Amino acid sequence: MHKAVINKDRDTAVREMASYLLDSGRIGGVFSLKKFKGSESVDYGLITDKGLLEYIHPFYPVMPQNAGQTLSKFTKMTKPVLAIIRPCEYRAFVETVKRAQGSPDNFITVTYTCGGVIPLADHAKGLKNDVLENYNKAVSEGKNPQNTRENCRRCENFYPENSDILVSVIGAKKDTAEIFINNDKTKGLLEGSGITITKGTFDKAGLKNIIEERATVKKEQFTSIDKIGKGLNGLVEIFGRCIGCRGCNSVCPICYCTQCDFSSSNFDYNRTIIEKELEQKGALRLPPDTVFFHIGRMSHMAFSCVGCGQCSDVCPAGIPVGTVFNKAGEAVAAEFDFVPGRNVEEKIPVMMYKEQEFPEMGE
Amino acid sequence: MDKQTPQGVKLGPKEKQKEIIISMFKKAIASEVIDTVLLPMKVPSGDSYAWILIKDKSFLDKAEPFAPIMPINAAHAIKRLTRKGKAQYKTAVLIRPCEIRATVELVKLNQVCLDDVLLMTYDCIGAVPMDDFIKNPEIKEKEFASFQASGEFNSACMKAVCGFCTDFNRTSSDIHLSLSDRGIFISSNSCKGDEFIKNSRLTPDEDLSDWTKKLEIIESVRETKRKQVFAQTAGETDGIVNFHKIFESCIGCHNCGSVCPICYCRQCFFNSSVNEQNSDLKIIRAEQKGALSFPNDKIMFHIGRLTHMSLSCVSCGLCSEACPVNIPVANVFSYVAAQTQTAFDYKAGKSTGDALPMRDYRSEELGELGELVKSVDKQEGLNA
Repeated sequence: MHKAVINKDRDTAVREMASYLLDSGRIGGVFSLKKFKGSESVDYGLITDKGLLEYIHPFYPVMPQNAGQTLSKFTKMTKPVLAIIRPCEYRAFVETVKRAQGSPDNFITVTYTCGGVIPLADHAKGLKNDVLENYNKAVSEGKNPQNTRENCRRCENFYPENSDILVSVIGAKKDTAEIFINNDKTKGLLEGSGITITKGTFDKAGLKNIIEERATVKKEQFTSIDKIGKGLNGLVEIFGRCIGCRGCNSVCPICYCTQCDFSSSNFDYNRTIIEKELEQKGALRLPPDTVFFHIGRMSHMAFSCVGCGQCSDVCPAGIPVGTVFNKAGEAVAAEFDFVPGRNVEEKIPVMMYKEQEFPEMGE
Repeated sequence: MDKQTPQGVKLGPKEKQKEIIISMFKKAIASEVIDTVLLPMKVPSGDSYAWILIKDKSFLDKAEPFAPIMPINAAHAIKRLTRKGKAQYKTAVLIRPCEIRATVELVKLNQVCLDDVLLMTYDCIGAVPMDDFIKNPEIKEKEFASFQASGEFNSACMKAVCGFCTDFNRTSSDIHLSLSDRGIFISSNSCKGDEFIKNSRLTPDEDLSDWTKKLEIIESVRETKRKQVFAQTAGETDGIVNFHKIFESCIGCHNCGSVCPICYCRQCFFNSSVNEQNSDLKIIRAEQKGALSFPNDKIMFHIGRLTHMSLSCVSCGLCSEACPVNIPVANVFSYVAAQTQTAFDYKAGKSTGDALPMRDYRSEELGELGELVKSVDKQEGLNA
């Protein structure tokens, strides 16, 4: 691992690095959160004009889309793009690559130690002045910000070590940017940029407090889900108010199917089937399969769930989808000693056959 | 909408509307006038409602005919029930007027079959925004019940679209329930409705014109509000720059499309592989302006959706409720829909007999084109 210390604030340092890479023709564009002049909204942008780099806000605490999903839709490109994304977005991208969606060669990935994001609804209502201030203050002091998504408050995978570049944000000084470069290829790209690169490794000692706090929060949050209910009744209790909009599915970076099975004609029941069920039960919810959809989606993607929380944020019924899926996903992934997004070489458990996993079947 | 009021039958006093409706359905099932009823029922967590198709009468006691919220447009539920055609059971559905209108549109779009469905509706005071309800179910429940009991049709606690909805009473249903000051009256709007009333052994003998007049007053209040909202929306959406401003925070989740009762495509064009392009093109597109925003083509999606469904938009407002970033989708779509529907002298949900404007060819609509076609035909000798 290599390290660079730049005596500028993070935003400027990253903008200048991006500007250099654009100028030198080593990248085709810069993918980052941006806020254009006169615009109220913060969204992702692919910037090719270095004059517009002043509008990128790579560390702004909002996630309009999980960028892993956005980047997975890029087909192979001639020149790579410098993509500045959050750790969970990076992990999601890694999972999409395993599913033959994303092309990793397309991007030079920059991530950072992430404090979390403000819920989309809160952001859309317009932030009061002190929200961002409090967030930034907590982050700079190495504390866990309190006005972030439920998922972010418990996230323990906020210091990715596999992206090409890692920027230190949590507990970092305001006017110094500390950048870690993970491979020689990326180091080579920065040659001639004037950035002094030395040997050095990322030290997560400064993250100790936040890691500990989040572990506690996680326990509390996961227990609170258990309190609502367990088993099928618990699922009915939690997902009973689902309106079937499938928003959770459409924003999920892992759910990549163009046509979800649950929205397909496979689930158009003949009237005779509906009537038979009516005769058995006396009453039937319409549209049907509310909990079935969530269990189905869970079995398809939960072990790759990166816990970004986008699903909870878009749920019009306020269901804590992100916490339920994250909890179930971690439990399943642990069985397979699998961590979603950890390593692109690590295969998805259900796509890998190990004979010793099924001793009974072997017999 | 035809405002001629048919004669009604009094079912009972206004105070007991829930009990009266439930007992009406119990009798109808017992006497085999109908076999099943679609009604809202509280979900197990108690903070929302779901559509339940009831066959066993004992479930009717748990139903809530007048739910404070509209989590799903009932047209969606009816679509899932009847998309594959007719069945042996006769089903009565008691749904809001905008849900009736959406259902009627879906019939024309071949998504709903009403052969064995009896559409029933009532004078609707509006629906509480789902967001507000989920945060405070008990308080909102009581608040709604008191508005429902007192017949408060202009409460500010309802969804924005309900505040300016002028089609909140008699609509294209088979049966209408007038929740009047004098009590609950049932009346028929169609042959199917006549049959239901006859089979239920009721004889319509009361004139409801006094209540109709009252509703007209409420309608005029709503009409004023509608004009205000549309004038404001017109200003806010005028031109592509303003239109862009309204939708710029769109995150591309397409919740608005998926909760829309009219948007019935399983695979939306905008989510399809047609939009997958060689990503070097993204760079080229970015280079034209210096940057390319994500999701790409977000304005195109909304304009596209408008062209696809605005003629059938019933202004139920679910799109606004489902938007995670609070875009006033329903205001914009209602405003545009009012204009497109006027242009074709069409009213979404008015009648299953009206042809969808886009499927109805009238040669006089395309005067200039007609001339052009004739001249091309001549040149190519196709008319020879």
